[in-house]
Amino acid sequence: MAAAATCGTGAGSTGSMVAAGGKNNVTSFQRRGPRASGSDSSYSRLVSIAGTRPSVRNGQLLVSTGLPALDQLLGGGLAVGTVLLIEEDKYNIYSSLLFKYFLAEGIINGHTLLVASAKEDPADILQELPAPLLDDNVKKDFDEDACNHKTAESNIKMKIAWRYQLLPKMEAGPVSSSRFGHYYDASKKMPQELIEASKWHGFFSPEKSSSTLNIEPCSLTHGYIKLLQFIQNIIYEEGFDGSNPQKKQKNILRIGIQNLGSPLWGDDICCTENGNSHSLTKFLYVLRGLLRTSLSACMITMPTHLIQNKAIISRVTNLSDTVVGLESFIGSERETNPLYKDYHGLIHIRQIPRLNNLIYDVSDVKDLAFKLKKKLFTIEKRVE
Amino acid sequence: MGAGRGKPRALPTRPQYRASAEGGSGADPGGEAGPAWSGVGGAGDVSRPRVSGRRTGACGLLPLPPTTAPNGSSGPSHSVEWEGRSLLKALIKKAALGGEQVHILGCEVSEEEFRAGFDSSINSRLVYYDLFRDPLNWAQTGEALPGGPLGALQAMCKRTDPGPVTVALDSLSWLLLRLPCAALCQALCAMSRQHACRGGGPAAEQLCVLGLLHRELHGPGPTGALSSLAQTEVTLGGTAGQASAHILCRRPRQRPPLETLWFSVLPDLSLDLQGGPPLESQPHPDPHTPQVEPASHLTFNLHLSKREREAKDSLTLPFQFSSEKQQALLRPGPGPATSRIFYEPDAFDDLDPEDPDGDLDV
Repeated sequence: MAAAATCGTGAGSTGSMVAAGGKNNVTSFQRRGPRASGSDSSYSRLVSIAGTRPSVRNGQLLVSTGLPALDQLLGGGLAVGTVLLIEEDKYNIYSSLLFKYFLAEGIINGHTLLVASAKEDPADILQELPAPLLDDNVKKDFDEDACNHKTAESNIKMKIAWRYQLLPKMEAGPVSSSRFGHYYDASKKMPQELIEASKWHGFFSPEKSSSTLNIEPCSLTHGYIKLLQFIQNIIYEEGFDGSNPQKKQKNILRIGIQNLGSPLWGDDICCTENGNSHSLTKFLYVLRGLLRTSLSACMITMPTHLIQNKAIISRVTNLSDTVVGLESFIGSERETNPLYKDYHGLIHIRQIPRLNNLIYDVSDVKDLAFKLKKKLFTIEKRVE
Repeated sequence: MGAGRGKPRALPTRPQYRASAEGGSGADPGGEAGPAWSGVGGAGDVSRPRVSGRRTGACGLLPLPPTTAPNGSSGPSHSVEWEGRSLLKALIKKAALGGEQVHILGCEVSEEEFRAGFDSSINSRLVYYDLFRDPLNWAQTGEALPGGPLGALQAMCKRTDPGPVTVALDSLSWLLLRLPCAALCQALCAMSRQHACRGGGPAAEQLCVLGLLHRELHGPGPTGALSSLAQTEVTLGGTAGQASAHILCRRPRQRPPLETLWFSVLPDLSLDLQGGPPLESQPHPDPHTPQVEPASHLTFNLHLSKREREAKDSLTLPFQFSSEKQQALLRPGPGPATSRIFYEPDAFDDLDPEDPDGDLDV
């Protein structure tokens, strides 16, 4: 009752609040009502950035990775200010697809992109992004996939002994009103006008780092230094770290770095065991510092299967926040194994960060496999 | 190509001769018929659509469209037993016959030895950069390429005219032993990019880089790094007298197809492909890895016999309401008469209606 009295007058003036408190005298705790000038400045600090949402568990601001299934496995999405490391599969097919989904999600949400690569020109990468699936097409595609699946198994009808028949069907498909994660059609390219309307910065390593200087051991390679300076400049100039208070809307910077650690960046950890083993770890350390102080999220793909010194892989895992490993079945003996015949590979969630929390957000499902259907990339719990 | 050209076959194991040739047939417009790799989709700006067409016409099967990806070329790597230089020369000959410019960086064998086997018309079209005779430029003749091996690679790239070019590196192993691997990878990538830039549009530029790699000279690191750059990798191996090529083509967005072919290089450096999977030379994988049967090691029985299946199908489930069952439920039942408990007292039971717990030994 006392609680109702104090809470009931939410929009009222402070005068009535004092009166109510005085009458009951149960608690001196008074809720401050909204200010008279009640603009949305204080409430819009977090919520109004497009493409983000607070986590339901601890209120951390999250962005989507571009793949709603992966978002769910990571506890709702990728936290702003953290690094998502993707360990590439052997032929770099699926990891580059995830990279493109991440960038495409940024374009759809209107985030600023920063694409860094040593192999391909960032402009070419942006031309190859998958097209978003519009809501009315999405259900059609999902139903079509479901139908194909059903016709194969229509002869095995399952008799349900429980009352599930009466329950409404669980919707595994996309929710049409979801604004957080979007679905993409991997067989179509993103329309040119969306790409041109987006704001992006590209870093192509061979162009930026021209000289091959002799570097001392234990220091960053030239390519990494240039990339860090580039990222720092963009963050500072565009105000992602709050340095120049912006009149306009706050936005998120999505950083995508492709094939980090490959020899094309000038790093030789993939070539020898005793190379410059601290360059990459230093890079990740500095990068994480830059990210934590700005409104940005980063996805890095790394060919860890090529790294010769296994200690580096564990150090890199510790220095990243979220680590997801992809293992494709191509060329391995698992391709012919009947247990894996429906899938294209396994996905391993190797690390989940513990941000402002005492416990990890680990999902209880560890046996996950992925499949690239004609248009969609799905992650499923592996069914025996 | 027979087995060992006078070299002793003393190696106990059969070294896998790995030939990686850069193949990237980019956007092949027709999707040429023929082996899968000839129509492979490589990187956009170094595709060579016409190669497959011409070559499929020339011989029934084509080994590798020597198209390169901006990522270096790995050529056939030879081992002591299965020598890849003749395969490289055969591919060079095809490129030269096709009217492309061919630049060769020769490091391991002398120019005369490399040019042996080509006839004079082809020899006149080959542009040869010799790093074998005087790699460190001690003679100071002034005609050597400056900057060492790396400078030689960059100079080669600058001297190519726009148009389809085949660059053969004999061998990558020689370069790997003298240059840091990362620098070599970057140089190979830069080569194709510069070529593409200079010539104008991406469709016009077709640079193919073929490289020869001696697989057993290098650890898994450099070979892994180079093969991740390569678009097509050809590993040579084979059995007595017959060489086989195991070809792996990486397509940018699809699963890479793996093919194995038998081939032989004739004395006039033309390729003779026999196609088809290897015969009984390779041990059939089945005896070694028995087919995995998921339900084989369980302690319970997952299979149903016919009678059991019939019984299962005829079972009515508790929540499946047929009309009779619904009527029976709606009708008021006879009451407690339908459910009874039948109990036979045991010898040790002492039923005392006043004290039901009397028989407990408390």
